[in-house]
Amino acid sequence: MTRDHALIDELLAIRALGGLDGDDADRLEHELAAHGDCDECRRLEAEHAEVAGMLALALDPLPVDEGMADRIVAQEQPKKGREPDRAAARPADELSGRRDPRLGRWQAAFGIAAAVALILAFVLATRPQDGVQVPGTVVAFQGASGQGAPGELAMAYTPGERGALVWGAGLPDPGSGKVYELWMIEEGNPVRGACLAPTDGAVATYLDADLSTAELMAVTVESTECPSAPTTDPVFTAELA
Amino acid sequence: MTLGRTGHEPMGSAEPAGTPDEALLRRVGAGDERAFRELFARYASVAHALAFRLVRQAQVAEEIVQEAFLAVWRTPERYDPARGSVRSWLMGTVHHRAVDAVRREQAQRRRADQAAALAPRVVEDPIDDIVSALDLPRERRLVQKALAGLPDEQRDVIQRMYFDGMSQSQIAERTGLPLGTVKSRTLLAMRRLRTHLGEVTP
Repeated sequence: MTRDHALIDELLAIRALGGLDGDDADRLEHELAAHGDCDECRRLEAEHAEVAGMLALALDPLPVDEGMADRIVAQEQPKKGREPDRAAARPADELSGRRDPRLGRWQAAFGIAAAVALILAFVLATRPQDGVQVPGTVVAFQGASGQGAPGELAMAYTPGERGALVWGAGLPDPGSGKVYELWMIEEGNPVRGACLAPTDGAVATYLDADLSTAELMAVTVESTECPSAPTTDPVFTAELA
Repeated sequence: MTLGRTGHEPMGSAEPAGTPDEALLRRVGAGDERAFRELFARYASVAHALAFRLVRQAQVAEEIVQEAFLAVWRTPERYDPARGSVRSWLMGTVHHRAVDAVRREQAQRRRADQAAALAPRVVEDPIDDIVSALDLPRERRLVQKALAGLPDEQRDVIQRMYFDGMSQSQIAERTGLPLGTVKSRTLLAMRRLRTHLGEVTP
């Protein structure tokens, strides 16, 4: 692994066009992770994305159904006045912060279950008229090293639907000034999900994000700034249905 | 950078045409419906053309566009300026969803291939395109000229990968070219396009 950008340049160009597959998708992720917080990588990514985005202009525009914009603004309202990533993690922090630090692992797990129930109750009570699907599939995250996961992390969601419940127990402290950051991997691209700050190794949060195009979830250890791109290798991954 | 009004413009969209996309998106984040409608008017028809080009099914293409703009409306904060312009983010989202739809369904893939073989290429004849482009908005003209200016083998890779939704491996398999050749042609094409399109990229 070097700081040479030739390989990254080539793979980013292919990814921007939607053509990256096979081992090259993993190779690019590893290269980007190895480069960490790299201005040149970001520049190349933005340039290729820009060119790819322009190619669509070569096509003859195709008018859309006239009512589409009306349907969108009528059915869904954006959440105003808050930053979703941090907000998504907030319920977990608030809930876990109330627990007795001497609670054992089973007690912590019970507390997490209660937290999840509370979050679920909140979701159900505040869901929009057109409905939020109650998550129906549970996946367990695996330690990305393949050597067994430190602690346990799981997610409940409904395939193809928005939103998921994420909870964990026995997680090691990510370190001073560090948090866990959850990513949705879409076509090999990490999309920021939420930052998770465990208390006594436990986390629980509702992830308000579109999972319909995510193939994989990954968790990395990041600074509390919650960067927009991962800077370290994943410590947990989970494949989605 | 502004775009021509290329599609349907909903009632009530009275934004100045020069308002930057990023400014509109920030206002969408604050729940500004008019800003959303302006972004929709600017890009929905282009996004629809892209989705339809890939999936070849009107209903699926409309669903993809609706999902993409719904994401803009609900979670505009997912846009990261460090990763490119609003337009590239939007088109990337649409392209990604459309390619995903194509690859998820093999039967649909076969239909797309058959249609792609029959349908005219985006740039069949550069001369014809340049002539017919006289009435097109400036950006379209430039993109079509940039595509037309690529060497045939590079344009073919871009065509298959971006407009037909094929992966690098599928292109290598279909054309019999070594995978490394497909990759190097892609990069060369993107570099050349970037040079030609530099004046209109934000």
